[in-house]
Amino acid sequence: MPIEFKMPDLGENIENGDVVSLLVSVGDRIEEDQPVLELETDKAVIEVPSSAGGTVTAVHVKEGDNAAVGQLLLTLEAGDAQSAEASADPQPDSTPAQQTAETQIESVSEAPPASAAQPAGSVDFNMPDLGENVENGDVVGVLVSVGDTIDEDQPIIELETDKAVIEVPSSVAGTVEAVHVKEGDNAAVGQRLLTVATAASATAAEEPAGEKQVQATSTPPAAPVAPQAESLPSSPASALAQTSQPPAPAKGVPAAPSVRRLAREIGVDITQVEGHGPGGRISSDDVKAHSKQLHQTRATSPAAAAAAPLPDFSQWGEIERESMSKVRQITAERLSQAWSTIPMVTQFDKADVSDLEVWRKEHGKRAEAAGGKLTPTAILIKVLGAALKVFPQFNASIDMASNEVIYKKYCHIGIAVDTPHGLMVPVVRDVDQKNIIELSVELSEMAQKTRDRKITPADMQGGSMTISNVGVMGGTAFTPIVNPPEVAILGVARSSVEAVYIDGQFQPRTMMPLSLSYDHRLIDGADGARFLRWICDALNNPFVVLLEG
Amino acid sequence: MHKTQLVVIGGGPGGYVAAFKAADLGLDVTLVDPEANPGGVCLYRGCIPSKALLHVAKLLNESKEAHHWGVQFGEPTIDLDKLRAYKDGVVAKMTGGLGQLVKARKLNHVRGRARFASANTLDVELVEGGTQEIQFDHALLASGSRPAVPGVFRFDDKRLMDSTSALALEDIPESLLIVGGGIIGMELGQVYAALGSEVSVVEMMSGLVPPADRDLVKPLHACVEKSFTNLWLDTKVTAVNPSDAGIEVDFEGADGNAFQHVFSKLLLSVGRVPNSDDLGLEHTRIQLDERGYVQVDGQMRTGESNIFAIGDIIGAALAHTASHQGALVAEILAGHSKLVFEPSAIPNVVYTDPEIAWCGLTEEQAKAEGIDVKVARFPWSASGRATTVDRNDGLTKMLIDPSTDRILGVGIAGANAGELIAEGVLAVEMAALASDVQLSIHPHPTLSETVMETAEVYYGQSPHLYAPKR
Repeated sequence: MPIEFKMPDLGENIENGDVVSLLVSVGDRIEEDQPVLELETDKAVIEVPSSAGGTVTAVHVKEGDNAAVGQLLLTLEAGDAQSAEASADPQPDSTPAQQTAETQIESVSEAPPASAAQPAGSVDFNMPDLGENVENGDVVGVLVSVGDTIDEDQPIIELETDKAVIEVPSSVAGTVEAVHVKEGDNAAVGQRLLTVATAASATAAEEPAGEKQVQATSTPPAAPVAPQAESLPSSPASALAQTSQPPAPAKGVPAAPSVRRLAREIGVDITQVEGHGPGGRISSDDVKAHSKQLHQTRATSPAAAAAAPLPDFSQWGEIERESMSKVRQITAERLSQAWSTIPMVTQFDKADVSDLEVWRKEHGKRAEAAGGKLTPTAILIKVLGAALKVFPQFNASIDMASNEVIYKKYCHIGIAVDTPHGLMVPVVRDVDQKNIIELSVELSEMAQKTRDRKITPADMQGGSMTISNVGVMGGTAFTPIVNPPEVAILGVARSSVEAVYIDGQFQPRTMMPLSLSYDHRLIDGADGARFLRWICDALNNPFVVLLEG
Repeated sequence: MHKTQLVVIGGGPGGYVAAFKAADLGLDVTLVDPEANPGGVCLYRGCIPSKALLHVAKLLNESKEAHHWGVQFGEPTIDLDKLRAYKDGVVAKMTGGLGQLVKARKLNHVRGRARFASANTLDVELVEGGTQEIQFDHALLASGSRPAVPGVFRFDDKRLMDSTSALALEDIPESLLIVGGGIIGMELGQVYAALGSEVSVVEMMSGLVPPADRDLVKPLHACVEKSFTNLWLDTKVTAVNPSDAGIEVDFEGADGNAFQHVFSKLLLSVGRVPNSDDLGLEHTRIQLDERGYVQVDGQMRTGESNIFAIGDIIGAALAHTASHQGALVAEILAGHSKLVFEPSAIPNVVYTDPEIAWCGLTEEQAKAEGIDVKVARFPWSASGRATTVDRNDGLTKMLIDPSTDRILGVGIAGANAGELIAEGVLAVEMAALASDVQLSIHPHPTLSETVMETAEVYYGQSPHLYAPKR
């Protein structure tokens, strides 16, 4: 089936460029991401990679042409729907193995007169049947715009019907060529909403006869690949969704057939919908509410807040791209999520650890004898464990869904460990039941295990609170990010000897800078200050731990 | 050569409904079937002619019973030619009507047998002679099934009938052996018994109509025990020998004892096999299972993504299921690309006297799948309407989820069960609770009240059925 490859959006406000050279010609077999032409823009000469694999059946530009974004560059005869779908997906995650660049049998269907107006490679997405006699609705939001690459099931408009506001998901994947509705419009079932350039559409309507000939000869009839399901031109929407396997029939769901159908049409997995009717029966309103909630979650998730497109850095100098490690990816994801969901406050204080430091050095040997190392962190774990007993709201999590606070009766402390592979946070269990020497031994073992990448995901879960000690590296203070679902994190910077005014005179004291970040939804500023002060007092006078902790 | 958007292979209730629906949705449709008009097995050799004959059988039986109600009829005289003509007239009327609907929709009807040459091309062997090539964007395979013929029955003798020849009603044999006590065997057995044949039934399993719940089969069993000459359950046919005297059949019972009988005729009704062997499927990537059924996904799509299959050829074996699937495929092709075949309740009906009908979950199935259900039963001895027609031999039951009161299955045995089951289908499909049915007013006096009263039984007592508190 022919795929139209059009000039992709090249970002950075590039709207057109001169074709400096063509890198492919008719009959070439190309792969996805293979450069097909060199384009000179006002910024640089760039290679334009194909978004699909297949055999080139026509090249629609020549050297010297000025080509604009969206302009037809190539016609490809290509692989099955998977590669077509992959081409609609901007993620560069498709490996050559996924691309079935085989050519295939093309049933050259007669051009249907009714759809002659439809340009090849485009399909209209019309308002689907929303069930329940919903015949139209007001468009309260248009969620896509021209040039956007949309996936199947991606919501494209928000529609307010007399029953509810629902998001209408696309059943087409591709690039939006035209949006036919705007906010405030009343849109009826069957009305055209979008025109989408889709690789999976195959209306051979406007193909010149000569081109058809090319296809016929370039496709061996015995090609052992899936003959693409042809779109029926009178109903372009049928070109859609032939790619993904339909989900299994939903068995035993307490919903009427019309409601089950509505769920199918708007892309909701009805088995996930909570029914609010008698006996848990699912109504169409339940389905719509679920759909809306789904889209809201999607919209607010960090992934949805897509980063702005990056410029081409190579125009300013040499660069190198390296794929992110899994640890880095997870760190990035989790920290983005923490940053965007937790309203955080950081407070700073300093603990006088002069006496503690003397004591720590005196007793270091005893910890060493046990196989540990009496580090400030080991002591901090013990102190923090005691603090959590005094201030239980710091050993808690928030359940916004049920408006509940979950208090933990256990006391596990996460320790941020710097490893060659990135930041990891193993958790020391039941610190309130262990003495400092035991903790120092465990900490040493755990840190080593972490650096050797021998810890398991389970070892990094279930923390009450986290300590991030960057004292070895330096710094005077910093703002650590809470490690959810915890509600607080204690940052430790480098201790230094400072002149402290005590009893009418300045005295040299070793001061440890502490930075406490916490989830302001649960913890008030005064509590934060009290908590941090308690820790400082306890470090100054460890007897406090025995007294209160 | 002919090109079409959708070619439908087979004009039975699956194929013609799909073709009509697709045409109504704007597709260019070609229907390939050898008959002059659509209809398939259902109209020509199945549901419809058998129901016409069962209607007559019921009249004959009731006339025999009428003396209980003070009405005496003489011995009926059966004009077989006229009866056959009546039945053929019913078939002609209905298939002719479908032919009119084909014309009204301007469907392209090609009379012939289709074979795939590729996943986009069919070769049709035309009834009028010659062949025609059809190129298609999409195909729907609805070529149905035919009676199965096990090894010992593979001989050519007019006295060995299948459902098709039995419905042709050539004569009324003095004695008839029905091989297979399933739906088809029981229906046709009752027809021939009413017409005067001495009917015997042999069934391998331990009960009649094996897929139905046992309590629903009981009324039918009691009835045929009287009207049939022999009822051999747990019994196999080991040998069949046609002779001048008749057809000699050797049996082997459950306990191993062998016996022999001679019958004027035999009716083989041991199931059906899909018509998937002569379709050129080897030129496609369509997969069959070990029994020859075409494998499809939830959208009825075969291994070729542009070819769908529905009905008997995928194992459904019910006209109404095939029709539903056919309409679904038409809708999928017309742009409702996400739809999936996912009924909650498919009704099964045995049109015997008394009838048996059920839908949704059965007790056997609940047991096998470990689904916790509570079963409520309402015997028709407590039904006023059943009493007025002197047919208290019936039962209505419901399978209900005790945690939600949701109706998961309904079963009915008795007169008109086939009509009554529709309410059960609606209840299961709508995820109705027993209370929904209980609180819906049912007309009095009707047999449909038994459905309402069954729901009441579930909640404790129904007005007409008192069960002492335990």
